[in-house]
Amino acid sequence: MGDPHLLSSAHPAAAASSFARKHPGPIDERFSDPSPHITKRPRVAADTAATGGSAPYPEAEVRSLVMMAGGIYPLARAEALRGLAAVLGKVDAYRCFVAGIVECCYGCAVELMRDEDEGVRLAVVGLLGLCAQKFAARWDVDAKSDGDIMDLIFQQLSSMARDMCTKVRIEAFGALGKMQRVSEGVLLQLLSKKVIKTDTMSGTIIKGQKLPPKLKIPCAAGIFAHGIEDEFYQVRTAACTSLGALAKFSSQYAEKALDLLMDMMNDDTETVRLQTLQALFHMATYGYLSMQEKHMHMFLGLLVDANALIRNAARKILGLVNLPKLQMFKSAIDCLIASLEKNPEEQDIYGILFSIGKNHGSFSANIAKHLAKEIATASDGELILDRPRVKALMIVSISAPFSDDKHKKLDIPSIIFSHAISLLGKVSCALGEEVNQDSLLSYLCHKGGMPLWGNRSVSAEFGESESCKVETVEVGEQIENTAKATKCLDRVLVMQSVESILQTVEGAWTMRMSCDVCEARTILRTCKEELKVLAENSSGSIGAFLSFLCEYLDAIRLVVELWQLIQLDNSYTVGLTAPDILLEKLNISVRRMECCYAGLNRGLEVQVMELSLLANLLGLSNIGACSKAVLSKLVWVINRLEGLCADGSCELSDFSREIKKTFEADHIGNALIRNIHTSVELFRLKPTTDFGALKAISAVFQVCDNNSENPLSYICGLPVGVSFNISLWNISSNNRLWLHMSIGESVQHTFLEFSSFEGDGEVKSGSMVVPLNTTPMAHSFVLRVCLIMECYGGISSNQERHGGPSDCVVQLSDELDVYFVSTGQR
Amino acid sequence: MSIECLVLGAGQDVGKSCVVATIGGRRVMFDCGVHLFCRGRSSYPEFDRILAASGATDFTAAISCVVITHSHLDHIGALPYFTEVCGYHGPIYMTYPTKALAPMMLEDYRKVMVDQQWEEGQYSYEDILRCLKKVIPLDLKQTIQVDKDLVIRAYYAGHVLGAAMIYAKVGDAAMVYTGDYNMTPDRHLGAAQIDRLKLDLLITESTYAKTTRDSRRAREREFLQAVHKCVSGGGKVLIPLFAVGRAQELCMLLDDYWERMNWKIPIYFSAGLTIQSNTYYKMLIGWTSQKIKDNYRAHNPFDFKHVRHFERSFINNPGPCVLFATPGMISNSGGFSFEVFKKWAPSEKNLVTLPGYCGPGSIGHKLMSGKSTRIEVDKDTHIDVRCQIHQLAFSPHTDSKGIMDLIEFLSPKHVILVHGEKPLMAFLKERVESELGMPCYYPANNESVSIPATKNLKMSATERFITSCASEQTEDNLRKQKLICGSNMSEANTDRKLAEGILLMEKNKAVKILCEDELVQVLGMERHLVQNEPMVSSRTGAAGE
Repeated sequence: MGDPHLLSSAHPAAAASSFARKHPGPIDERFSDPSPHITKRPRVAADTAATGGSAPYPEAEVRSLVMMAGGIYPLARAEALRGLAAVLGKVDAYRCFVAGIVECCYGCAVELMRDEDEGVRLAVVGLLGLCAQKFAARWDVDAKSDGDIMDLIFQQLSSMARDMCTKVRIEAFGALGKMQRVSEGVLLQLLSKKVIKTDTMSGTIIKGQKLPPKLKIPCAAGIFAHGIEDEFYQVRTAACTSLGALAKFSSQYAEKALDLLMDMMNDDTETVRLQTLQALFHMATYGYLSMQEKHMHMFLGLLVDANALIRNAARKILGLVNLPKLQMFKSAIDCLIASLEKNPEEQDIYGILFSIGKNHGSFSANIAKHLAKEIATASDGELILDRPRVKALMIVSISAPFSDDKHKKLDIPSIIFSHAISLLGKVSCALGEEVNQDSLLSYLCHKGGMPLWGNRSVSAEFGESESCKVETVEVGEQIENTAKATKCLDRVLVMQSVESILQTVEGAWTMRMSCDVCEARTILRTCKEELKVLAENSSGSIGAFLSFLCEYLDAIRLVVELWQLIQLDNSYTVGLTAPDILLEKLNISVRRMECCYAGLNRGLEVQVMELSLLANLLGLSNIGACSKAVLSKLVWVINRLEGLCADGSCELSDFSREIKKTFEADHIGNALIRNIHTSVELFRLKPTTDFGALKAISAVFQVCDNNSENPLSYICGLPVGVSFNISLWNISSNNRLWLHMSIGESVQHTFLEFSSFEGDGEVKSGSMVVPLNTTPMAHSFVLRVCLIMECYGGISSNQERHGGPSDCVVQLSDELDVYFVSTGQR
Repeated sequence: MSIECLVLGAGQDVGKSCVVATIGGRRVMFDCGVHLFCRGRSSYPEFDRILAASGATDFTAAISCVVITHSHLDHIGALPYFTEVCGYHGPIYMTYPTKALAPMMLEDYRKVMVDQQWEEGQYSYEDILRCLKKVIPLDLKQTIQVDKDLVIRAYYAGHVLGAAMIYAKVGDAAMVYTGDYNMTPDRHLGAAQIDRLKLDLLITESTYAKTTRDSRRAREREFLQAVHKCVSGGGKVLIPLFAVGRAQELCMLLDDYWERMNWKIPIYFSAGLTIQSNTYYKMLIGWTSQKIKDNYRAHNPFDFKHVRHFERSFINNPGPCVLFATPGMISNSGGFSFEVFKKWAPSEKNLVTLPGYCGPGSIGHKLMSGKSTRIEVDKDTHIDVRCQIHQLAFSPHTDSKGIMDLIEFLSPKHVILVHGEKPLMAFLKERVESELGMPCYYPANNESVSIPATKNLKMSATERFITSCASEQTEDNLRKQKLICGSNMSEANTDRKLAEGILLMEKNKAVKILCEDELVQVLGMERHLVQNEPMVSSRTGAAGE
């Protein structure tokens, strides 16, 4: 704070109003009226705090807000609590518990938990939820801190879910669903109104607690049993959501929660039923949904429900769930077929049939056998493939080879495949768009024992790389299902897919060793496409990580291609050849990874640096001689890598160690070029999936009212102003941004002064008018503009800057065309 | 100041609820019910005790007002007797739906009185009408100033249409009488809803002091299964019920199920009683659950599609059917449900459901407690019971968890349990005292409990005192200022300051708080100094340095 004396001068209102400045809201008016001298000066303090991002000393804010929370006016109390939540949300986890801020906020929340005013209680729920998040974050950092506090908060939140105020209940159930850590005993207690007496339960709570646990429990017990029979459907909906969300913590809980959720299918409100299905879907994606026979009756009823939305949601769950018995599997298939016959327009049922079949390989093999018999015994024309039933069974049958249990040899009669050819359209539809029809056809022909289709080589498509293909198909399928269903992808699911993609990538990298470059390249491309799909559906740091991975795969692909070229052609050519272009692309890609992501953690940075090392090495080998610039860059990278690994948190890889050794032996770099093959062989892909709080730096800008139909006007030879609307994401004040404006060959750089932009740490946006100094003597022209950022990390070879940026830049945005027409021409 | 609580009925018992609370000299009578298993005067609360306790000569002088929580007979049955026979002419409060349902309920009871030929304690139909004319209707959360000091307010209680919890306040002393309430909503009524109030006393019902029920949804499923099984086997279902409340609830459930199953099997309502109450429900939509309030524009849920009127001649009709009949407990003494029970009980195809609570002595109680297959009606006749028995677990009363939740939510200073069975109440009392740490009582009928009540005193503080407090705090803050950055925050919650002063209470003067130095001045005395000569030389030596 700029002026700590002021804040502590026994005027809690002063601190509050400083807070209010930063968070314009209802509080603003209420507290700005006391004596003028206290309202004026804190503004200074607040402004200094605001420019530095988050407040440097939140302790003062917290202290005064806590004081206010003890006030006599309920609205002020509630506002103080919300203020605490806002401060807590901004402060990073580490600082939080060093200073005990979380404890302080938590204490304050607990004190007001039984407040008379419902607005205050509502704010308490929000603050408690946030405290829980912070405590959980601490757990991640420091495993020693005990989990009792989490359980306690959990129970406190549950007791809030029994509040008389509807809003509080909704909020409390929402907060419960977001909890990140809780012990099983506490969780199970939520489902049963009767107090469960288990050792683990009483043990965890009594320990270290002066108050007997009974004081907290009676209200919290069976909170979900209350929640699902609440009077208000909003509460029931929230309860269902949380009921499903918490299932990931315990399978025993999930089993019991399923009973409750199944009862909810009798609810009289459609919204609640749909939300229940959503919760079940959530459980199914986590693999915590174990359908039992007693649930089947209710569940199958949903598949033929009168409501299309319900049918659809129920089907989606069925596509993910694991059915333990053949009988259940068969009844599910029958029910789907019945539904298909009733509603022939719902073609997505085929897709679901395929995934069910795939999930239960041996069961579908069983179906296939029966179907084969049926086909064999049917005389010509009797078995009409058009019938939905046969179609459906066919799809189930051919899904069997794609099933997970590959260790079992599932022999599907070839007759199935040959018949399936006529259903090609349906099958490829069911598979989604991951596999094209031609390759599918050749696959079916191959399996069906028919002569090869056309002149395509079946073995090339499905021979050696079959496993790889199937894997990607599977991932794609799963992703698509969830992407469609949830709009926003679940983090866990995304990480699962990413891991499997990365495994595929590693496989592709080793495949490069075996000289099958084309195939490796295809796989890398497919993987990148998949990551892109994921990235489009994600946001926050996971979205940033996914786009980072896309970049990474791009670089790897370029390395693979470059390496192939270098291996093929050892004669050094002069001029801009394909390797030069690839190399430049690779460098740009590496640079983007270095600079366009804020908050790279050590693992990721090492990964980028190694890639940079590799790129430079390839650069050396491409030129054939050692350029000084490349060598100095090489030194820089090696030093940086050493620095990163200095504290032993990660190890220098064999690859980097080797290069370092070679380089130390011979500073000119000839040895490096000579040993390049062995060095590159040593390079291993080891992508990490730990991305911490990664943020993608990006920018979007536009020119107001301008397109080719509606150009801006100018006077030949005179400067003209162009007004831009610019939004920047995750840009810190250290970044140097330039507007790169080019007309044909001539280029103008304008430094972007964005300190006046409005917005929080994440998004800053503003508009500005940039003068274009010289306009050409022409009737009209097109100005190409893009935003670039200087890379402060790299070494600039060009010392003269001409007033522009250093030559080590990355492009932050797409290029934008701005159209101009001379005033005389209009 | 204290709150005096005289329990005239429903003390360690269920029936004739009546509690007279004296708060700061104001006497409020909560409920005025009859005991359904007694006859004559003994079924009424002993009103004379009020006169004895108050020393007044007539009830109007003794009692400030009467508040009725809901329309069940054990809460309202004695009201016409109290007003018309005993002669109470003061204000009577009840909610609009209660006032609407009351004549129907009371008239029903009056007929029983006539049937049973009570020798004393009867009241006439005119008495009922005269009595209800005096009633002042209440709305939810409406604050009523009964007189200069006494304030009452009603909160939604679930339980039955129009049921309310009553908040009463005189000065700073406040209490809540819950009447009967339900903490879980059902298909037609919402859950009890009350603000967090500062209470000295909570008088709560405790019908299910020891029972913890599982989810309502499981119970619904079981009930539907039982009915389904019986009806599809061609049997008849008898559902004996109290008139208002459960009938609507179960009717909605069955009507819904019939719709889904697309059945044409008739559902009958016995007397005009329940049909009539259906009409009340249709009118009083505002008092039902949220769902019904949301939906009734499109379709009034009380317009049952499959429900028909029952004629006496239908009893012997063949084929399956469902019949709702009163009274709920199937009492020996008569009633339509008993009549039908006699006819249907001997067939094992049929099903009889029993309400959640059956009073001792009733046939329902016998069926519930043992597997009695033979029921003696009187010396000559008996019934062989071969039919299926399904006990309804639907109850309009909250379970023990609900009671605890409400007590915890309101956090009163004292709790009194009424409307329950003695051993169960003792159990609940233990829980309240040990888990919530509140003193809890469960007086028997005609006992009275006195509890201390809050009284806030207004006092003034001298200027000097306030200045000294403020300056102390400023000093404290200045000291802390150095620590403010990077200091540990954990003590921030315990930052409250204690101020020291002297409280001066003089006769006929406002209470005052002052500084130590001012005391001498105010009292007009001289300051005396007492000096102690320390005798332990070694200690003084150490302190002096």
